[in-house]
Amino acid sequence: MSFRRKLLAVFALTVSVSVGSVAWIVLVLSRHAFERADAERTAALVAQFRREFQRRGQDVVRRVEAIATSESVTRIALALNRSAPDYSSYVGEARALAESQHLDFLELIDAQSVIISSAQRAARFGYREESLNFSSLPGDAFLKSEELADGARLALSSVREVRVGDKSLYVVGGQRVDENFLASLELPTGMRAMFYQNLGTGFSPPLLIDASGVVRRAEPLATLIKEVQEQRKEGETNIHWSSDAADDEIVHAIPLAGQNDQLLGILLVGNARRPYVELRRHIRYAALLAGSAGIVLAIVFSGWAAARVIRPVEQLADAAREVAAGNWSTQVAVTSADELGELAESFNHMTKELLQQREHLVQAERVAAWRELARRLAHELKNPLFPLQLTVENLIRARQHSPEQFDEVFRESSSTLLAEIANLKAIISRFSEFSKMPQPQFQRVQLNEIAQNVCRLFQAPEDGKRIDFKLELAEQMPEIAADPDLLHRALSNLVLNALDAMPDGGKLSIRTYQKGGLACIEISDSGVGLTPEECQRLFTPYYTTKTHGTGLGLAIVQSVISDHGGRISVRSEPGHGAAFLIELPRNLDKLEAAQQARSTSNAYS
Amino acid sequence: MTRSALLSIVAASLLASVAFAAVRPRYGGILRLTTGVAPVSVDPANSTIDTLATRNIYRLMFDTLVVLDTRGKPQPALATSWQAEPGDQRWHFQLRPGLTFQDGTAIGADAVAASLRAANASWKIFPTGNGMDIECQSPEPSLPAQLALPAYGIAKRTAAKLAASGAFAITRWDPGKKLTLTARDDYWRGRAFVDSIEIEMGKSSRDQMIALDLNQADVVEIPADQARRATAEGRHIANAGVDLLALVFSRDARSADESKLRDALAMGIDRSAINNGLLQAQGEPAGTLLPNWMTGYAFLFPAGLNLAGARRMRAETLAVSSWSLGYDSADPLSRIIAERIALNAHDAGLTLQLANSAPPDLRLQRLPLDSLEPHVAITRLAAKTGTLLPKLGDDSPSSLYAAEAALLQSKRIIPLLHVRNSLGLGADVRNWMSDRDGTWHLEDVWLGAEKP
Repeated sequence: MSFRRKLLAVFALTVSVSVGSVAWIVLVLSRHAFERADAERTAALVAQFRREFQRRGQDVVRRVEAIATSESVTRIALALNRSAPDYSSYVGEARALAESQHLDFLELIDAQSVIISSAQRAARFGYREESLNFSSLPGDAFLKSEELADGARLALSSVREVRVGDKSLYVVGGQRVDENFLASLELPTGMRAMFYQNLGTGFSPPLLIDASGVVRRAEPLATLIKEVQEQRKEGETNIHWSSDAADDEIVHAIPLAGQNDQLLGILLVGNARRPYVELRRHIRYAALLAGSAGIVLAIVFSGWAAARVIRPVEQLADAAREVAAGNWSTQVAVTSADELGELAESFNHMTKELLQQREHLVQAERVAAWRELARRLAHELKNPLFPLQLTVENLIRARQHSPEQFDEVFRESSSTLLAEIANLKAIISRFSEFSKMPQPQFQRVQLNEIAQNVCRLFQAPEDGKRIDFKLELAEQMPEIAADPDLLHRALSNLVLNALDAMPDGGKLSIRTYQKGGLACIEISDSGVGLTPEECQRLFTPYYTTKTHGTGLGLAIVQSVISDHGGRISVRSEPGHGAAFLIELPRNLDKLEAAQQARSTSNAYS
Repeated sequence: MTRSALLSIVAASLLASVAFAAVRPRYGGILRLTTGVAPVSVDPANSTIDTLATRNIYRLMFDTLVVLDTRGKPQPALATSWQAEPGDQRWHFQLRPGLTFQDGTAIGADAVAASLRAANASWKIFPTGNGMDIECQSPEPSLPAQLALPAYGIAKRTAAKLAASGAFAITRWDPGKKLTLTARDDYWRGRAFVDSIEIEMGKSSRDQMIALDLNQADVVEIPADQARRATAEGRHIANAGVDLLALVFSRDARSADESKLRDALAMGIDRSAINNGLLQAQGEPAGTLLPNWMTGYAFLFPAGLNLAGARRMRAETLAVSSWSLGYDSADPLSRIIAERIALNAHDAGLTLQLANSAPPDLRLQRLPLDSLEPHVAITRLAAKTGTLLPKLGDDSPSSLYAAEAALLQSKRIIPLLHVRNSLGLGADVRNWMSDRDGTWHLEDVWLGAEKP
């Protein structure tokens, strides 16, 4: 992974984690805040419902009080004081009185608990009301179970005693606690009231009602209701109506007891969580959106920041690659005054120093080369000069001491002098030839073809040595731009060296192949091999490991290969032969230049 | 004669003339009636609603061959005489000549025969000149009294409408809502005093009471439980006939235990409390189907509360008693009485569940006494309750007693009360009369003041 990507990943991760952490913290804090607000709202709503329930109870008390103080009731109470009161005349009174005060239930009961008149169940006149304890009448409204023909109902009731003379008449009135009662309660949005009529044992779904009637799905509330039934104290739970949390409802259960502390009803105040859940979802979505946007921005910013940081580093890396490739004059632009700027300046300084060092080195090598060349040349020239000196001295001695033999000596010395002078000319001629290496004439050539020609030239040994030639040519070898004559000469030189390295015969192989766009040819032998030192100095002019030779062969080969933009290297170990590898670029671009040069020369010729 | 004496004579004459004017019948005016029922047809042969109001409305339009007097004895009406052949299965009726329907066509033997065939297809009717022979499937000693029932009112039926044979002609009929009748000038018994009668139908008791108080109605129906209060509040209330309130089982008792349970129920019902409390003493506890004033033997059948006996009877059987009790859901009083009966039954150890959804085991029914003739009345009651009445040997009281006793013994019917029907009359209604069976005589009613 590149440094840019690493840096980008680190930046993006850091920013993403930061943004995500902030979003998570916001969510957690908002959830806690909402839960707290939810609980406070539920508590407020329950308190409001209690007040509303109490208000309705006070309303019932007022209505019953109004009936108790009415003229009709007073008249009935007066009638009770007669010796044999006729209750039958008043059977229908309760219904009329109840209608006048909009009460659902009303009973007129005498001191013996005998029902004189009943609005809700007129047929009960003459029967005893057993469910009330008239000796201790509550002042406030209370819950009461009313037995009707089609079952029991719950009522919010009140009792008032009307005492005329020494007889008491009790007025028991109430309003039905049913869906209409619940619907009439003024409740805030999102809140609903349910009522469980505890008229049996255990939990019975049809007894759970809300403002619209029997609650359709009562089962989720069963646990809460049973808990209140058993413990007789308030409870609260979060009801999951569906898998969607927005449908959740916090239900607060309030037990309601009757006059005899009998649990007659359970009030369930539901607080819908939808507004909170949806608000929380909005916050979550907003946080996630902001987080996502933050992460995207973080990535973009990280990319920008990484690019800003990395660009100088990349420039330095490119420059270093250039330097590694040999372009020591590479410089990078100094764009900042920070550490990267200092690094760039140091790099530039380093390349400058390298250039200077190379110049010094080149100069030193050049001097060394010239010294070596001078030494070799002096050595070469010294060899023929010494015979020349001896021959001339011999001629002088012969003239002085043996004039009779002078002619014969002169003849022999002249031939010797001519031979040595010819030798000197040959030495000078080769040196001149080396200095006049021609420039390659590029044309399309097939390296395989040149290799075959060279192989064919040396396949028949002149001195009878047993040389095992092996030619391995690549099937698909691309054409390259090269000077075939120079290449042929270079390869021939290498083959000759290989043959010289195998005086007793051996194996010589020529192999061509492609490697990374380069055309390669390898010439290897099974000769005596070279030491590492020899390998290092092998291409130095006038350096030779042979007893004969000028030491310019491999220097010429290197020169040819270099003129083709290629590279030659040697791989060898003493006793294990040597392998020369030539890597040539295709140089097709040089073809056009060569053609232009030829056309230009033709135009002027 | 002194001057003062002369003045006294003149003053006395004026007072006498004023007094006479106050009781003198007066022609004209519109008599307005309201009723709770809303029949879709006024054809007595197609009647689906049998109430006091519908029966009397039929009587206004359609005369019968025979009418009953206050003792329940047949009297001539469209028929002037009748004669039974031996065996009382075939009867000959002689028609009153010169009578016409409201459209002017004669009320002849053929028309009467056609009308009666529509009312009772089982009779074979043979017109004979100005009379007819009616042959029943079995001996019918009380056929003349039976023919006095409104269901046998003579009508001329055409495809489009009905033609009345009675005191009032049908002027306008808006089914279920309003019926307008006009007095016929050519009525054989003389023209009615009022010019017309408007009958508003389908009105609730409350609306009827309000209409009466606002003088928008002259005759309204008063529920039994409100009659006493209406009287106490100064309204003019008239009694009009008696209905039987009874519990009718849907089937015969299948075992002796079930018969005992039914006896326990009959004994456990506090009829007096129902009458005094719920019906405001507008009825009388009943142990028989027919009232005592009609038969003279009703006192022999106990109608009082016998809770101990009921409990004892209940304890004698291990059968489970859980009956569904139906009632007229349109009548609030019916529901309250049913509730009271259920309470009484509970006291006796029986279980009654009020139910109107499915056919109940027993039903609280209010059955009008159709006829003053007891044999006809009990036959009609048996027919209405779907019970089988033992064959009446003749029209003697002993035969009637035996038949009713057997009917009660079948345990299909538990008589509860004979409830008086009450009508509220407007202040202008004069000469209101009704028979004990509830028959109104509106043709004799006149109005004391002009209507606005």
